[in-house]
Amino acid sequence: METRLANIWRLTVNEKKFIETALQSDLRIDGRRPFDFRNISIKFSREEGSAEVQLGQTHVMAFVTAQLTQPYKDRPNEGTLSMFTEFSPMADPSFEPGRPSEAAVELGRVIDRGLRESRAVDTESLCVLSGKSVWAVRVDLHILDNGGNLVDAANIAALAALLTFRRPECSLGGEDGQQVIVHPPEVREPLPLIIHHLPIAVTFAFFSNESTVVVDPTHYEEAVMGGRMTATLNANNDICAIQKAGGEGVLQSVIMQCLRIAGQKAYDITTKIKNAVESYNTERALRKIKRHPSSVALDISGAGVNIGKNQNKPVPQKGDSERSNLTSEKSVADQSMDIEGEAKSSEQQQTNKIDGDAKNFIGGPSSWDPYPAGVNSDFLKASLASHGITMPSRKEQDSRGENMSGEAKPVEPPEDINVSSSNIEASETVLRTNGEKTLKDAVKPKNKRKMKSSSTSGR
Amino acid sequence: MENKPSSSPTSFVDQSVVPGDVVLDLSNMTNQTLKLGGGLRQDCDAISVMKAGKLRFSNPNKYWVESSQKRYVPHAGDSVLGIVVDSKADNFLVDIKGPGLAFLPVLAFEGGTRRNIPRFEIGTLLYVRVVKANPGMNPELSCTDASGKAAEFGQLKDGYMFESSTGLSRMLLSSPTCPVLDALGKKLSFETAVGLNGRVWVFILFLRPSYL
Repeated sequence: METRLANIWRLTVNEKKFIETALQSDLRIDGRRPFDFRNISIKFSREEGSAEVQLGQTHVMAFVTAQLTQPYKDRPNEGTLSMFTEFSPMADPSFEPGRPSEAAVELGRVIDRGLRESRAVDTESLCVLSGKSVWAVRVDLHILDNGGNLVDAANIAALAALLTFRRPECSLGGEDGQQVIVHPPEVREPLPLIIHHLPIAVTFAFFSNESTVVVDPTHYEEAVMGGRMTATLNANNDICAIQKAGGEGVLQSVIMQCLRIAGQKAYDITTKIKNAVESYNTERALRKIKRHPSSVALDISGAGVNIGKNQNKPVPQKGDSERSNLTSEKSVADQSMDIEGEAKSSEQQQTNKIDGDAKNFIGGPSSWDPYPAGVNSDFLKASLASHGITMPSRKEQDSRGENMSGEAKPVEPPEDINVSSSNIEASETVLRTNGEKTLKDAVKPKNKRKMKSSSTSGR
Repeated sequence: MENKPSSSPTSFVDQSVVPGDVVLDLSNMTNQTLKLGGGLRQDCDAISVMKAGKLRFSNPNKYWVESSQKRYVPHAGDSVLGIVVDSKADNFLVDIKGPGLAFLPVLAFEGGTRRNIPRFEIGTLLYVRVVKANPGMNPELSCTDASGKAAEFGQLKDGYMFESSTGLSRMLLSSPTCPVLDALGKKLSFETAVGLNGRVWVFILFLRPSYL
């Protein structure tokens, strides 16, 4: 018992007085102004539907998963959205493992209310078979580090995860059309959730001195504050939820001012989330495109496809049918797929065309790429994934026509996962730096191989 | 590592050592009393290192291993900053960032008698000296120095406290005066108390509080 007492973080009266005095002159201990948010960084992992958000020292992770279940009796046409929070003991000495504490329940409730009451996530689209089978989406929030203001950070993480989550496509089949068939991601491209708007939570802390209000309190400020309020708004200035549980009484004018400020912050944060999600989606589409040459090339042999292009993204998880689905479903991927498609069909003058298209489409990432996007990234991914396996040997593997081969698949994906499980941005920069070196290596062996294999590409 | 132990111990002093290094061979030194501080252990005739850090020696006969961490291990004679957690009949319970709470007897003040026991509320910051720190027992503190005088120990009023690693605290306390403190002193006039347990208190006499 005593050891636990010793480990709790304590606030001294000196700190308390200092923070309050400083706030009277609009100074905060980390140098921010009263209405400044801390730096938000949003990262995604390779798994779809997981996001990691860092708000200053606060660190939160969100995971989204979905399962088919029976709907509620009074809502037979709607899917369900449920939120689970876990306050990991590593986040704060006062967090205990086991039953969620009051604060944990409150956090889950606030975020859940923001999403549910405002109908941000479209639950009707989650219905598969009315009255029998619907998708139940589950959001797990893990608090990894408590640096203050968990609600806001967890909210951003939940939104980012929901935006990048993809659920498997399913269709009705069977004799009576009542059986639900879930298509695995290899066969049909998974679908995103339909999210109408993004409700952003903005937390305010009130202090005992008159109307001192700050946005995004840190751990210290939370210990000193007299009351807090969380306002959830979206970028259109619609209020989705407000939570003020106890604490100091606050003037109505102060509340109105807070709501106005929250509106601005919500807009900023929405833009940040959207940018992060977009760059992640681009990244992912880019990865998929690189895979396609490998799978498509071998199937559409008639088009005289360049086997050399089968670089190692043997992730031959996508077959042909998937390819066509992909084109119909994903808009982002669409353009790139079409571009690649054209490129493949009109092989001969590829390089410039792909290059140009790739440049138009992708912008930044491919501008460093003097060679066709397809070749380049494949190669680099190969070099990263193989961790030292030589290029030519890899290619030989590919050229043996392993589209869906058993060997290539199990070997590659684990390596890929290892590689890209690190921060996507990091891998991108690594790709860039490796680009210079490996390109030349890349091209030469490729040419040699091309002469051997039956492709008709002219390079 | 095997070659060294029989050579003079000074060869290891002020050098980085890692757990497992044997730094002293007692068979060579007879009739000497050595004091072993933190991070050292006696295995029959050999003194081996338990903690990674630098081996330090101070005359006449004290050896210890010094490393910079966030965690503090209490040693007798250290001056630390503690936060009052509770007050009992006989002593105050003070948190000094060690493995357990420390006791500060209510009479351990200059001129302290049963009649003028100081009243510290929970959260008061104190500058105290560690009197006893045996492993397994709660450390004992005192607000007086060895001779019984107050010597700046006691409650620290106002100002701001922040936490640092133990290495940084030692650097701030080193003599000659740490250059950081010198440079700051040129711009501001301030008062500071540095605890070896990684807590630093600063007080600046200004109309407006400012940061460090």
